[in-house]
Amino acid sequence: MRRKKSVIEILCLKEIKDILRDKKTLVIMVLVPLLLYPAMIMGLTLFLSQMGKNQLESTYYVVYDKKDESLVQEIRKVYEEIKEEEELSLEFLTGDTSFLEEKKTELFIKEEKHTTEIRIEYNSTNQDSSLAHSQVKKVLGAYEAQLLEQRLRERGLEKEFFTPIVLESKDEATHSQTLSLSLGGSLGMLLITTIMTGAFYPTIDVTTGEKERGTLETLLTLPVSNFQMILSKFMAVSLFAGISALLSILSIGGSLAFLFGSLAKELEETALEIDVTYFLSCLPLLLVVVLVTALLLAAVSMCFCIFAKSFKEANNYFTPVMLVIMFASMVSMLPSVELELKTALIPIVNVSLLIKAVIAQNLSFSLAMVIIFVNLAYSILTVWVLAKIYSSENVLFQDGFQSFNLFEKRSRIKPNTIPKTGDLLLATAVLLLLLLYLGLAAGARSQMAGALVNQLLILSLPLFLGWYMKLEVKTVFSCNLPKAKPVTGAVVLYVGTYSLVMVLSSFLMGLMPESTGNMEAVYGELLAYPLPLLLLVMAFMPAVGEELFFRGLLFGSWKYRLGPLAAMVISSLIFGGFHMSLVKLLPTAMLGLCFSYVVWKTGSIYPSMILHFMNNLLALMMMKYEEEIGGFLPILVKAELEGGELLWMTAIGTVCIAAGILVMGKGKETLK
Amino acid sequence: MLKAVNLCKQFERTTKEGRKTKKQEFLAVDHVSLEAGRGEIVGILGPNGAGKTTLLRMLGNLMSPTEGEICLYDEQGEKIEEEIRRKKSIGYLSGNTKLYPRFSIREYLTFLGELYGMEREQIEKRVEQLIALFSMKEFADNRIEKLSTGQTQRASICRTLMSDPRLYILDEPTLGLDILSADTIINFMMHQKKEGKTILYSTHYLEEAEAICDRIYMIFQGKIVAQGSPGQLMEETGKDSLRGAFQQIFENLQDKGKE
Repeated sequence: MRRKKSVIEILCLKEIKDILRDKKTLVIMVLVPLLLYPAMIMGLTLFLSQMGKNQLESTYYVVYDKKDESLVQEIRKVYEEIKEEEELSLEFLTGDTSFLEEKKTELFIKEEKHTTEIRIEYNSTNQDSSLAHSQVKKVLGAYEAQLLEQRLRERGLEKEFFTPIVLESKDEATHSQTLSLSLGGSLGMLLITTIMTGAFYPTIDVTTGEKERGTLETLLTLPVSNFQMILSKFMAVSLFAGISALLSILSIGGSLAFLFGSLAKELEETALEIDVTYFLSCLPLLLVVVLVTALLLAAVSMCFCIFAKSFKEANNYFTPVMLVIMFASMVSMLPSVELELKTALIPIVNVSLLIKAVIAQNLSFSLAMVIIFVNLAYSILTVWVLAKIYSSENVLFQDGFQSFNLFEKRSRIKPNTIPKTGDLLLATAVLLLLLLYLGLAAGARSQMAGALVNQLLILSLPLFLGWYMKLEVKTVFSCNLPKAKPVTGAVVLYVGTYSLVMVLSSFLMGLMPESTGNMEAVYGELLAYPLPLLLLVMAFMPAVGEELFFRGLLFGSWKYRLGPLAAMVISSLIFGGFHMSLVKLLPTAMLGLCFSYVVWKTGSIYPSMILHFMNNLLALMMMKYEEEIGGFLPILVKAELEGGELLWMTAIGTVCIAAGILVMGKGKETLK
Repeated sequence: MLKAVNLCKQFERTTKEGRKTKKQEFLAVDHVSLEAGRGEIVGILGPNGAGKTTLLRMLGNLMSPTEGEICLYDEQGEKIEEEIRRKKSIGYLSGNTKLYPRFSIREYLTFLGELYGMEREQIEKRVEQLIALFSMKEFADNRIEKLSTGQTQRASICRTLMSDPRLYILDEPTLGLDILSADTIINFMMHQKKEGKTILYSTHYLEEAEAICDRIYMIFQGKIVAQGSPGQLMEETGKDSLRGAFQQIFENLQDKGKE
């Protein structure tokens, strides 16, 4: 008996069949990369070589006044001597020759006792005229050198007398380095935009197209869950995006090979420098990266198309999205931007930098792995969130995007409605922007002002939203009194988490040693302020504000919308991200997990506020009184832990976390 | 068997007052309770915009009700809770449930069979059976986009039949069809009724409803304004046709509105 296919398989096959039967999509996906790129590249080559040929064959005209005949005769003599070597082709004419139009320069000559003033008139915007100008300049230069030599000889001087320094600069860049700069950026952009087009049109077809053809409603009456539907569509789209990416790699690669082949004679010396075997060895890696990029771009285009009501609307979204993606892929054209751990984490930018690195022949394998992993993670996360916030009813029968309560007038918002995912993401984005602009502006005055403004912003946003959206403090912000037993568990859990955070930080600092010194520079100036102020700004305000925002607003709302686990993970990742440091991201997110678990299980935000305060207090004390604490408990201030310490810290951490979770037990299930 | 209690669906509509636009909430379906048992054909009647389609969409799992509860029972009389199982036991058809235009009827039905988790041999048998039943042999392998309205509607009915559901929810299945095509569909409903299936359907053709419905719900502005068998409704209004009864009921409503 044959194995039964899973629902996702069946749906995915259906999507693939459906896309394959749509000729327009196929044309865009297959013919564009296969015909357009070779045509463009070869056309450009032909055009350039034709232009080069024209330049070699053209004759330019020099027009002069009849009275200067004798001087021009001398210049002409020089011209005859050097014209072979310099590949010049000039003709000297007298009088007005306007019929020659722009292929000319005009000489105006004024002779004095020791100098001759020669003025050349040409038109710099006209290519022929400007080429004529440069040829004439070469001739005049040679003529001047000849005159100079002659005069020196008359006075019995060596030629070297006038050139005490001989300047010679040599470009040390290898050919592949220059190539990577000039070609790397544009190739990356070309590839990424092709994948995007390859992903976008199938996406429109399977999402908006399905809606417009009226088959989506049918599909939703069938035994299929939203998740299965979105996942299968995503898989089908990624497949086509991947194919179109592979085709474009082939066609771009093929046409470039043709281009280099045809220019081989001119490039003979430099072409040898390009190591073909290196590129071949990179090929499998490159293919994987391209496929992962296809996944990511498929996920991105799904996000926009799935909510669009019509083809037209989807196309409207396409332009801005495409612009952003093109901009991101162009970043690699900047010479100073290189592939490193930080840039490897930025989607799109990392792929384009990777291609640049491949051409420059300095690709690091581990970074390529990071890129693959990161892009995979982003796309899975995107699709998962998409499946979570997708509501077939809104998409089918209403405006599609009903994910915002915030845009309602306050008078129309019903009290105690839980904010929607859209509201929360919007609030997060707004807060991030405010922190970046206002926080940085204040930070430019003094670090204390910056920290104060940041904390005020973080504190005021949840308060404002709570007021505007008429949230009930008990449900969303969990402002309840906790019981003693879960609080005890919470303290144990925090101790465990803190030990693991120390282990993790130590490990991460080993990976990224450059960021350790950075931190001291950041906090050094702050620590000089009086202790009460420090306590207020660095321990108390974050404990209240950040808990209200991340554990109150974000976790508190998402736990109703997405379930407590998803809410914990997402709010903690955002919490980690807000600390805007790569080293701190995961450790902070881990603390966030601990705090949100505490809020969830104790049913109250107060224990996590107190723990957060203690945590910040500890960190502050460790920086301000490093030596005193170091004498008393050296392990707390060590930047990097050693093997044995790591081991027992991990053990303590794990045990404490398990014990904490156990003591907290089932806790308060406040979900309705 | 299907039972709905106090179903409500709230929508928003925008009204303009001078230069101000105002959003206003209203109930498209207003506390509707209904029942449809085994072997019953239940008709939903009402003027355009009465809320018939919204009601059927909620019953067919396409929309979630703002208020109220829908219970679907299996043959043993137990409530089906899981959404996928509910979807499996309902065949839903409306003017908006289109078929994949780039597929042929045979491909489409096979796809459905796979989705419903049927065995390969079973799928093949069922597809052949349905194609023969609806005499679609000549065009079963053409792309659906090339078929005529009547042919497409027959294919749509076939779609709901593929999984052999217990409950059919049909939103105006005979709309815009010629007499012969409409008869095929009416015969299909009668046949399913005999098999003990439940059929819930909306229509504007009152003669058709009078002939086949066991029970009728008349809806106006989201509310049920009359219910009962066609005979009961005619008796209550003292008319000798359902059309007459329908007109009488709405006349009464309008009189009430004037008072």
